[in-house]
Amino acid sequence: MTTNYTVTDKGLGYARPHKMGNRLWGVTFAMAIMAFPVALVLAFVRAATVADASGPADIEDAARLGHLIAAFGFIGFGAVFASISFAIARILGRFRKGGGEVQEAAGGKVHTLRMPVTAKVLIAFMAMGMMAIFGAVALHFVAAAAVGTWSLESVARWAEVLEAVRRLGVALYLFGIAIGLGAVITVVRFQTVRLGQLTR
Amino acid sequence: MTTRFDALTRPKTGDDPSAPSRLRPIGFGAAAIGVLAVVIALVANVAAANSATETGATFAWSFGLTVLGFGTVKLAIGLILVGILTQIWHRAASVEDACARLRPHVEAPLPRGTVQTEFGECTETATAPGPLPIHRMARTMWFPMLAMGYMLVVVGFVLSLVWAGKVDDGTQQAAQAWTQGVQFLGEGLLLAGISFLLGSILAALRESGGRVQESLGLPVRTLKMPKTAKLFVGFMALGLMVSMVQLVLYAVAAAVGDPQSFAAWSAWLGPFREVGLGLLLAGVVLALVTIGNVLAFQFARVREIIATGK
Repeated sequence: MTTNYTVTDKGLGYARPHKMGNRLWGVTFAMAIMAFPVALVLAFVRAATVADASGPADIEDAARLGHLIAAFGFIGFGAVFASISFAIARILGRFRKGGGEVQEAAGGKVHTLRMPVTAKVLIAFMAMGMMAIFGAVALHFVAAAAVGTWSLESVARWAEVLEAVRRLGVALYLFGIAIGLGAVITVVRFQTVRLGQLTR
Repeated sequence: MTTRFDALTRPKTGDDPSAPSRLRPIGFGAAAIGVLAVVIALVANVAAANSATETGATFAWSFGLTVLGFGTVKLAIGLILVGILTQIWHRAASVEDACARLRPHVEAPLPRGTVQTEFGECTETATAPGPLPIHRMARTMWFPMLAMGYMLVVVGFVLSLVWAGKVDDGTQQAAQAWTQGVQFLGEGLLLAGISFLLGSILAALRESGGRVQESLGLPVRTLKMPKTAKLFVGFMALGLMVSMVQLVLYAVAAAVGDPQSFAAWSAWLGPFREVGLGLLLAGVVLALVTIGNVLAFQFARVREIIATGK
């Protein structure tokens, strides 16, 4: 902990992941807010189709809508988890920039914690979670477009496997968020110790 | 009750601020167990999807196990947030000491009432303002929400085993509905617990910031509740309501006898419950954004105190 930092005359400001967090949390938040209602509206249409289903065309429509609902719902989840990860990166950036500026104001050397392993793990798990969720979303659109060409059994199998992949994506994202919050503990502890050193 | 739960988030007298948080590795371990549960369910699901035999039972228990895994990771996130809260109080003591020693000693100005800053409108008062009702609520509610939420997720997992046992004779509808309703209410409560912990972090930042300024004899500058914080409360309340309503609707669906009607109910209840979770998660985003803004405000204030003494 005591050696894992850089010493400079001026604060280092935001690093690239922090800048990304500042820029992208709002975009991904807006995506999430738009995607969930689309999934819900499609779900009501599908429920009406299922309730009145009387032939193969209705069953095909329900299968197609099922894939589209999952796709839009998980655009929402993928986006909101991305937004949470970006917001955590933003908090880590605030600590780095603000901590540097306070040390500068105190007139001493600026100690800046190097990116903790936990912050790197956050980025890695966020990327894996994003790939799993958005990969599954893309394949849901493929399956929805293939209804009528593929057998209904194949379409249903795809739905089952993609559901499992989506769930794994959510688990990876959640794990990354837990680790990212662990990085916040590391940063706050580093700053607490550094502030104590400034007064000695 | 509030005091007891609040005490869990505050360092004990004599605690070493430079010591690593004990909750951090516990949280990481619990999160890894949660992910492991989801991976086991994933393998079972994929194997079942590629199997020629009946797969309904596997999907039933793997659903329950997956949500139990998600719940475990969310509980782990809650534990880590408690660790952050404890560390924030250590940081406050350090900031107070640093400001007292480093600031130039000049006469403090009088409080001006309301001040406009680059971070938004602030109040300036002679003493630190007390906690807002929402902060008191957050400090009281985070623990019961996490505890009840995790219990419901576990109960839902047991129900998923009942669901799996009924697949063969085709009488699984009620167990399926109750599993989904109970587990997603549990998930909703866990996210509400996390939201209340984030609210407690905001409360801790506000209280500790006020205390530091008051102890230095300076006007206490406090950021007024930002719009993102108000929206956070709104999203959380709405998400929690949807999570409760979906349980009632699943209870209604459990009583529907006709399989086609049940399929129609299930078709929209799944996305409906996901909207509830989406709203709670959106609230979490806004809480984190608010924390980021409050931190920027506090760093600017500390810098100002050290540089100008007022």
